[in-house]
Amino acid sequence: MTDLLQLLINGLLAGTLLAVPAIGFTTIYAVLRFPNFAVASLATIGAYGGYVANVRFGLPLPASLLAAFVTAGVAGVASDEIALRRLRLSGPLTLAIASVALTIVLENCVRFGFGNDLRGYDLPVLRDWRVAGLRIGPQQVENAGAALVAMAALFLFLAFTRTGKMMRAVADNPMLASLKGIDAVTVARIAVFTGMGLAGYGGMLIGLDTSVDPLTGFRVMLSVFAAAVVGGLGSIPGAVAGAFVVGVGEELSLLVLDPAYRTAVGFVAILAVLSFRPRGLLGERAF
Amino acid sequence: MGLMDVRAIVAGYGAADEILKGASLAVAPGEMVAVIGPNGAGKSTLLKAIAGLLRLKSGAILLDGMAIEALGARDRARRGLAFVPQEANIFPTMSVRENLEMGGFLERRATAARIDHLFARFPVLAEKRRHAARTLSGGQRQVLAMAMALMVQPRLLLLDEPSAGLSPKAAEALFDNIAAIHAEGTAIVMVEQNAREALAIADVGVVLVDGRTARVGPAREMMDDAEVRRLFLGG
Repeated sequence: MTDLLQLLINGLLAGTLLAVPAIGFTTIYAVLRFPNFAVASLATIGAYGGYVANVRFGLPLPASLLAAFVTAGVAGVASDEIALRRLRLSGPLTLAIASVALTIVLENCVRFGFGNDLRGYDLPVLRDWRVAGLRIGPQQVENAGAALVAMAALFLFLAFTRTGKMMRAVADNPMLASLKGIDAVTVARIAVFTGMGLAGYGGMLIGLDTSVDPLTGFRVMLSVFAAAVVGGLGSIPGAVAGAFVVGVGEELSLLVLDPAYRTAVGFVAILAVLSFRPRGLLGERAF
Repeated sequence: MGLMDVRAIVAGYGAADEILKGASLAVAPGEMVAVIGPNGAGKSTLLKAIAGLLRLKSGAILLDGMAIEALGARDRARRGLAFVPQEANIFPTMSVRENLEMGGFLERRATAARIDHLFARFPVLAEKRRHAARTLSGGQRQVLAMAMALMVQPRLLLLDEPSAGLSPKAAEALFDNIAAIHAEGTAIVMVEQNAREALAIADVGVVLVDGRTARVGPAREMMDDAEVRRLFLGG
């Protein structure tokens, strides 16, 4: 029973970390209508942006997380403008394939700049908390808190700001948004900045939980994709729900499976959920 | 000088496709024009071309004497054109109030006051202000779509089949609303299958057949015209 509870807690904590890049991925999908797999390398770029801020410049973690967000957001917009924007009219499949190529290029740019070594953030060494036989790391809880802050910030941004409402309007009905005078190009840039910024923020949280290397983002990409699909592509609450399903599912699978098969859980979740709810858990709810 | 002058426009949805084959239309300030015609005549396409959703192959669209056919939908909206499509004319996951905010996107300073004004005018929207627009009935959606267009106090309102899919009672209420908007001085071009009701509240009737303007005349006279009655008003 304790093992099960431990895995459940681990899964929930993992789910909060997965949720951040997943809402980034789904935000971009909601506005631009294609799965942008460059989220993987932008998560890595964010993790390195935060690493530079934290280790080289000695900034505290909240400021480093902000640096991760901004670094990935700016890199995301720049790479989108250079590589993907001109392909917008070629359809979602072309864009998805191009985004895979882009992520490989960006990942190797990171490798060129920082090498392949594992890197860690400047963190205090803290003892795990032990409660009723369960172990919880204070850093894990802090990371989960930071993830919740990002999710709350996105919610407030989309609910209460004019820019957030513009993004939701374009996601809902791009033709009507254009008729109302909303500039789709500007909204696309804001969506890419926000989505990739969240990917970078999430990348740093994942780096805080483990370590940073050029494959930090790529390793979680399948789980992030699975979370977004399970929740319903384009649905932000869906991506959060999907992240918890995948996070908890991956941890619970350890009861019966070798850890090597853990990433398969996301795909089993996709198969299981889409068989019964083709639009995902919350596919009809964009926001 | 007229408000809008559409001159022999040719347009379609593909390179070889011509739905409009020389349609023309003139609208005076504050005038209401009802466009009627058989299915497939190009009525909705005409409105899309005026709104800037379709590129013209030839012809001209003048607003206050200035050619606007090279402008996109967004720039035409800035110049006072408000198009209400037949379908997909609301933001379904946003609340009624947020829909109105987006309707007034181009005039953000006046947004709050205009929303209050429209809530007073359409109490059904005020009651549902916090509800997601997708939860509204068909008639309520059409009212919301029109109210969104009114947020920018348009100079010309383009309505595409506003009564489509509505119950007779909801359609009647909607035509009353359209007549009231027209009475306040807003120029309207309305495409309608429900030709009798459209002509009853319009100043001018335009019959579109096979992408061409077949007839133009005072709406009342058109209602009494034997051929129009036979073809479009059910005898």
